[in-house]
Amino acid sequence: MKKEPGMAYNTKTLNRIFAVLSVVFLFVVIWMVMDDYIRPWKKVQLDGLQIKREATLAKLSEVEAQIKPEEVKALEEKIDASKAVVETKKQDIKKLEEKLSDVQKKIYAQNMYVGSVGSNKGAYQFNYEHAVKFNQTSAAIKYKVELDKYKQLETDAKDARKSLEQEERNIKSEIAKFSADVDQTEKDLKSLLGAKNRTLIALKKTDKDPIWLMRNAPFIDYLDPTIKIHQVVIDNALDDRYFQHVPKVDRCTTCHVFADQAGFENQPNPFKTHPNLDTLAVGVSSAHPMKDFGCTSCHSGEGQRVNDFNSPAHIPDSEEKKQAWIKKYNWHEPHKLPSMMLPLKYTEASCVKCHTGVERVPTAAKLNDGRELIEQYGCYGCHKIEGWDHLKKPGPMLTSIKGKVKNVEFLKNWIWSPHSFNPLSKMPAFFNQVNNSKPEFQKLNITEVNAMAEYIWNKSADYKALDKFTGGDSAKGKELIEKIGCVSCHQVEGIDDKYNNQVASRKGPYLTGTGSKVDADWLVTWLKKPNHYSKETIMPSFRLTDKEAGDITAYLMGLKNKVFEEMKFEALDPVLRDQILIDYFSQFSPVADAKKKLAEMTDDQRNHELGYRSISKYGCYSCHTVDGFEPDRAPIGPELTNVGSKPVEQFGFGIQKDVPHTRHNWIAAHLKEPARWDIGIPKEFGDINKMPNFYLSDKEIESITTALLGQVSDKVPMKGRKNLNANEDLAEKGKKITNKYNCEGCHKIDGRGGDLVKALDDPSEGAPYLVKQGHRVQTDWFYNFLKNVHPIRPWVKVRMPSFNFTNDEINTIVTYFQAEAGQVTFEDAHQKITWEPGEKEAAKKLFNELACTSCHTGGFSKEEAQAPNLFYVKKRLRMSWVEKWFENPQAILEYTAMPNFWDGGKASAVPGVLNDDPKKQMKALTKYIFEMGYDRDPEAFRKE
Amino acid sequence: MKDLINYLAQPVISFTIMIVLFFIGMRYIEVVAKKIVGWILMVGTVVITALLFTDKYFRANFNLTTDNVPIIFLILLVVWTSWYSVHKGIENDKRIENGLGPIEGTPENREKIWAWPNLVYTELFAIIAATSFLTIWAIFFKAPLEEPANPTWAPNPAKAPWYFLGLQEILVYFDPWIAGVLLPGLVVVGLIAIPFIDINPKGNGYFTFRERKMAITIWLFGWLVLWIFLIVLGTAMRGPNWTFYGPFEEWDLHKVVAEANINLSEIFWIKLFNTSLPSNIFVREVFGIIAVLGYFAGTGFLFNKYMGKKYLPRMGVIRYYIFIFLFQMMATLPLKMYLRWFIDLKYILAMPEFEFNI
Repeated sequence: MKKEPGMAYNTKTLNRIFAVLSVVFLFVVIWMVMDDYIRPWKKVQLDGLQIKREATLAKLSEVEAQIKPEEVKALEEKIDASKAVVETKKQDIKKLEEKLSDVQKKIYAQNMYVGSVGSNKGAYQFNYEHAVKFNQTSAAIKYKVELDKYKQLETDAKDARKSLEQEERNIKSEIAKFSADVDQTEKDLKSLLGAKNRTLIALKKTDKDPIWLMRNAPFIDYLDPTIKIHQVVIDNALDDRYFQHVPKVDRCTTCHVFADQAGFENQPNPFKTHPNLDTLAVGVSSAHPMKDFGCTSCHSGEGQRVNDFNSPAHIPDSEEKKQAWIKKYNWHEPHKLPSMMLPLKYTEASCVKCHTGVERVPTAAKLNDGRELIEQYGCYGCHKIEGWDHLKKPGPMLTSIKGKVKNVEFLKNWIWSPHSFNPLSKMPAFFNQVNNSKPEFQKLNITEVNAMAEYIWNKSADYKALDKFTGGDSAKGKELIEKIGCVSCHQVEGIDDKYNNQVASRKGPYLTGTGSKVDADWLVTWLKKPNHYSKETIMPSFRLTDKEAGDITAYLMGLKNKVFEEMKFEALDPVLRDQILIDYFSQFSPVADAKKKLAEMTDDQRNHELGYRSISKYGCYSCHTVDGFEPDRAPIGPELTNVGSKPVEQFGFGIQKDVPHTRHNWIAAHLKEPARWDIGIPKEFGDINKMPNFYLSDKEIESITTALLGQVSDKVPMKGRKNLNANEDLAEKGKKITNKYNCEGCHKIDGRGGDLVKALDDPSEGAPYLVKQGHRVQTDWFYNFLKNVHPIRPWVKVRMPSFNFTNDEINTIVTYFQAEAGQVTFEDAHQKITWEPGEKEAAKKLFNELACTSCHTGGFSKEEAQAPNLFYVKKRLRMSWVEKWFENPQAILEYTAMPNFWDGGKASAVPGVLNDDPKKQMKALTKYIFEMGYDRDPEAFRKE
Repeated sequence: MKDLINYLAQPVISFTIMIVLFFIGMRYIEVVAKKIVGWILMVGTVVITALLFTDKYFRANFNLTTDNVPIIFLILLVVWTSWYSVHKGIENDKRIENGLGPIEGTPENREKIWAWPNLVYTELFAIIAATSFLTIWAIFFKAPLEEPANPTWAPNPAKAPWYFLGLQEILVYFDPWIAGVLLPGLVVVGLIAIPFIDINPKGNGYFTFRERKMAITIWLFGWLVLWIFLIVLGTAMRGPNWTFYGPFEEWDLHKVVAEANINLSEIFWIKLFNTSLPSNIFVREVFGIIAVLGYFAGTGFLFNKYMGKKYLPRMGVIRYYIFIFLFQMMATLPLKMYLRWFIDLKYILAMPEFEFNI
């Protein structure tokens, strides 16, 4: 084509290009709008809507099935009949209605009039006050006149309105009389069909009608969409946005549409109802309602992000789930996020940040287990964890070990490999780990172990046992161990599995090979008076007789570990010792100086020096009291208070490829095999990872990981936290003590613990359950009992031991029980009993008729007692508790043999006494028992 | 092979290769200007880029969801435009040699046409096309709101926008005030100054190479070697901690590079004279001061000697010296880079007391 003059291009071609470009541009704009419009969460909400519709339809048919058609029909007929009656009175009704409309008209006019005089009154009121204020006397007088006039007018007008209103009410009630029948029947019909109608309304909300389509159409859906992002703003928890903390915004319910609605329990995620909806979370009546706590307060993650499945940092719980997610959602590891979602199995970790200062968190079984394990294994010994500072050192003191352990050889073998002596040892293994099992490292380790053992041994004070072991009956000893309650803290080799496995207490060490370990005289003394050897031990005295102590010793000393006993530990190699010492000395000074320093030392000094250095290196002093190490020396391990918030980059993954780079995976892998991070890295002897191996099971690892992940630095506002009230606070203080001494090992305290019972056929033979113990017993008695334990239930073989409590500890325990029972210290316990006329005789009759003394024989007959001595009640129990006890003993102690005489306070125990009033009967008997009293001669009382 | 490329990609080697290639290309410019070479360059660039993406580490490091995509366009466009201008220039050179004059000067190319619709209409096309393109671009390469900025947890590597990565690379060799303020400032000022310094009318309105040989060489050296190459280096081969990683090397956060840079003063006083550093900083830095002043004076002197006669009268004193200064400044970059690589030189002149390091 020929070009026109002055034109570079052909205009037609240009127009064509323009057309094509315009179409492309239109297409791009539509594409852009749709790209913005189509969001993954919209699909989820549509599916949710469908699910809801199906559920509503199901409910509708269920509701309809309950409505009897004949009932509906009858009511409808009744309405028709009543309406026909009303029809006949049409004229009257019409007249009344005219009258009503007339009155209403008048009321309307009157209302306007009242308003007008009212505003005039207000204006004159102001004018008058203003005039008075500025001393304009004449104006004031003038305004006063007007004011009074309008006041009067207003009063009259209002009065007139009231009478009109009265008239209106009268007419209305007259009209209502005519249609009363119709109204009532219609009401009945409505209530009959109520559920159905409500369901129909709910169903209508799931309709996809044109209005719905319009509200959700692209581009205009900013006006009032139904498919939209749902969010809760929670000021109980904060998100750390680095420059400031902001209230959490959770939009999880955008996809998890029914998380807080019951009825979708069986739907797949994300449509599932939250488990434990009404008790734990997020139901309205649960402990953590959605509107107060949201989702990420517990689950963690980025609650604001709804872009796609990956954006809120969902984290799979297991490898299978991970693979499934990768397939379904194109899931990938979130990056650059400080807080990802906690894998489901670790969710309980989140409890910790709000439930601070408590020993155990209710219903968080795994977390509690983890915290208990941290206590048991003594993680807090080497790693400072805030809130655990009050605990004593986890390991036994070593300052007079010479008096306990047979010889230093045992000590060396034990340090070298505790688990080969005791497979359940809580002492971890430092040696023979993947990072120090090279022969040259092992040789150095052996040198160190020699030096450490010698150091401890030589520093140990002399200890002289109180008693001598003079032999005993080992079979009897075994029986005693099973019976008196040793098993609630110790598992013991050779005793019935019933005791070992069901109780499964590991508060104290597993007793195995004791005969190869300790000195017999030491053991007798230890059993009889544990605090003679160690002031800090929690081991209590069981008030054993010499014979009993001898028997138990005989059994325990019979537990031998021959292999271990015969092991000879390789002797210390002076060359290697010197080599290690030179390494130490040359840390800050040249090798020549280090050598010189070494040359000036004697052999013993060198051993001693290496012992000291090695104990510092491995941190033995963190768990054990060792002479030469001050008690407040900083523990060896890094602090774990905020380990749950430690950035994942700060964890050393070494060159381990099979551990995913996340916090929880690192912690779990670390607990499983602490030395693993050194694998494949050429490290110097002094630089290898020293965290020892506890040989934890996978379950233990999961629990401990949960507890550690809970140690976060999140800021939680005061109102978001679980704030303990005064009583709870006192109870928590007490629980620290009862957990320290393992009270819950034997006693079930308000539903917690009491494992020992599992090993017994009859719970009444075990330690009594402590239910509202603070209410049951008197403060003085409780204090004195803990101070000086004595048997109460003679038939119980398990012994309440005598703990080496401090006064402070006893007071705390007593306060704890009282606080938990909501009990005040003083109750009218020692009040003089005053009898109503005839009450005492009735009480006596009850006492005899109910045959109290057939079980409570103490002080009454020589027969074996099956219930506590009644003469001690006055001193021990509270009156109000005894009355409650009478009312229903089984409600307090499920296993008690005490008969439920009054059948929950509803029936008379003995007919004809005190007008068969159970309350009066119980009161009388209580008084009677409290009159007996420990201070009275039983003989005299019986005569009376 | 990949290991060899990783090895060759080290800054010192690849930078040297780039310089050598650049000057070979300048020497044999007629060959470069051939169409077949143009094809080889374009196709080669595309093929090499595609091959690079077959490596998983390269894909991971140079990931396409970030703003690395423009760099691929950049490379293709730079190769194309550079070659095209050279090609056109050489074509014209041949015509001029034959007395024909540049092709842009032929009568048919000097014809006048209407602004509407020839210019304005096509500009509208460009606007629509560009808007469409950018919209589609935005749909595919989203710019999402990322996680909140955490001052205690900066991204590693922390990279500037892609067009600044050359400057960021300079930061490795220079004190921030030079690399971040002085040199970029001079680049901008220098670019603005070009029309005022370069009063040579040759090449105005037409492509040529031979008539403007020095100007084009200096420009292309600065553009291709000191700017584009450093951007590519900074984008593809600088990983965490701004450590060098070969294109096929995993970005391991913990990679350790042996580096112990020392100052010129330390080389003289401690290594050569075996004494401690003088306490007076001016005495201490006397060699650095001499070196810096010597550089400017010495190279200025050399310029004057070899080129002064030709250019000084033509350009006038002010233009001439501004040009010399800018050229000297440009040359400091490769010089300092080689000094760093060969003698581990940290600063020629180190006065941290005044925050003055060169």
